[in-house]
Amino acid sequence: MNEITVAVAGQPNSGKSTIFNMLTGSRQHVANYPGVTVEKKTGRYRYQGNTVTLVDLPGTYSLTSYSKEERIARDYLLHEKPTVVLDIVDAANLERNLYLTFQLEEMGIPLVIALNMMDVAKDRGFAIDAHKLSELLGAAVIPTVGKKHKGGNEIKEAILRACQNAHSQTPYGETREAGSVSPGISRKKDSFRIDYGAELESVLMPLEERLLNDPKFSFRYPARWLAVKLMENDNEARRLVKEIEENYHGDGYSNPR
Amino acid sequence: MTLNNIKPGCECLIKEVNLTGSTGQRLMDMGFMPGTKVKVVRNAPLVDPIDLLLRGFHVSIRHHEAEGMEVEEL
Ligand SMILES: Nc1nc2c(ncn2[C@@H]2O[C@H](COP(=O)(O)OP(=O)(O)OP(=O)(O)O)[C@@H](O)[C@H]2O)c(=O)[nH]1
Ligand SMILES: [Mg+2]
Repeated sequence: MNEITVAVAGQPNSGKSTIFNMLTGSRQHVANYPGVTVEKKTGRYRYQGNTVTLVDLPGTYSLTSYSKEERIARDYLLHEKPTVVLDIVDAANLERNLYLTFQLEEMGIPLVIALNMMDVAKDRGFAIDAHKLSELLGAAVIPTVGKKHKGGNEIKEAILRACQNAHSQTPYGETREAGSVSPGISRKKDSFRIDYGAELESVLMPLEERLLNDPKFSFRYPARWLAVKLMENDNEARRLVKEIEENYHGDGYSNPR
Repeated sequence: MTLNNIKPGCECLIKEVNLTGSTGQRLMDMGFMPGTKVKVVRNAPLVDPIDLLLRGFHVSIRHHEAEGMEVEEL
């Protein structure tokens, strides 16, 4: 393993750029996302023989398709398929920030969480159990203070470990063989899954199964994520499905992750 | 009663979010949900924005957005 791509995601003002700078130093490059004027900043660092490329995504409260920034962040995650997502969480605004974290989890890309602004959280009297959080979320949780350059090496180590785990698993943590999954069975032992409650799950789970058992979808998009978005009646998700249905000529295996 | 009618210093509970499309989505993304407690920090008639405190953070929204949220004063 030597080429690793990491997308840096997070809510506005959570410290994405600060952490990005801390990790990459001065090795940065600024361009625009294709067709839009939102800046795309990439940077690199080397760690234990690996070259890691970081992409600083626009700050968004969620990953719906309503704003340009959200669409950019989401399209990047869906189509460019980074090796790992580094989610910068503002520890002083944990509840609000975890909403985006949940959406990232649902996209099924290996996740490393930087619990940033730990100094602010402490000043406000919050005590956050990073180990417990990590257990609950099934992802590494690294306390950081970006402004004081604290936590950089720990993040680099966690990213490397997340890559190693990802390589020993199938994409999206799901099985790739269509038809081999029975409903209700958790596919990855430590994978995080939100239970939306009986009422919603009665719609969500059958939809997820259908997407999972249809190779033209399951090879391209995380089934759980797509099912949730379709249930939300999200325009982009509907467009994706329509596009795939229309362009499908029996070669569903041609564009695997 | 809607959120835009709550006086500075007062707290209320959101009962309903009657906003759709991108505005409704953005407010929900930030945590405006039925059952959420909101404290009004600054609110002057006709002067945007209204400053609010919810779930431990400050947020500013417009009067017409606040008008779309049904609340119960606490
Ligand atoms: N106290 C404290 N401040 C921090 C920390 N990390 C970043 N900051 C500050 O928080 C502010 C926002 O940081 P940025 O890195 O610009 O945040 P961002 O997520 O890139 O913001 P957007 O790109 O606008 O979404 C800056 O003033 C940083 O100096 C931290 O751990 N503690
Ligand atoms: Mg930034």
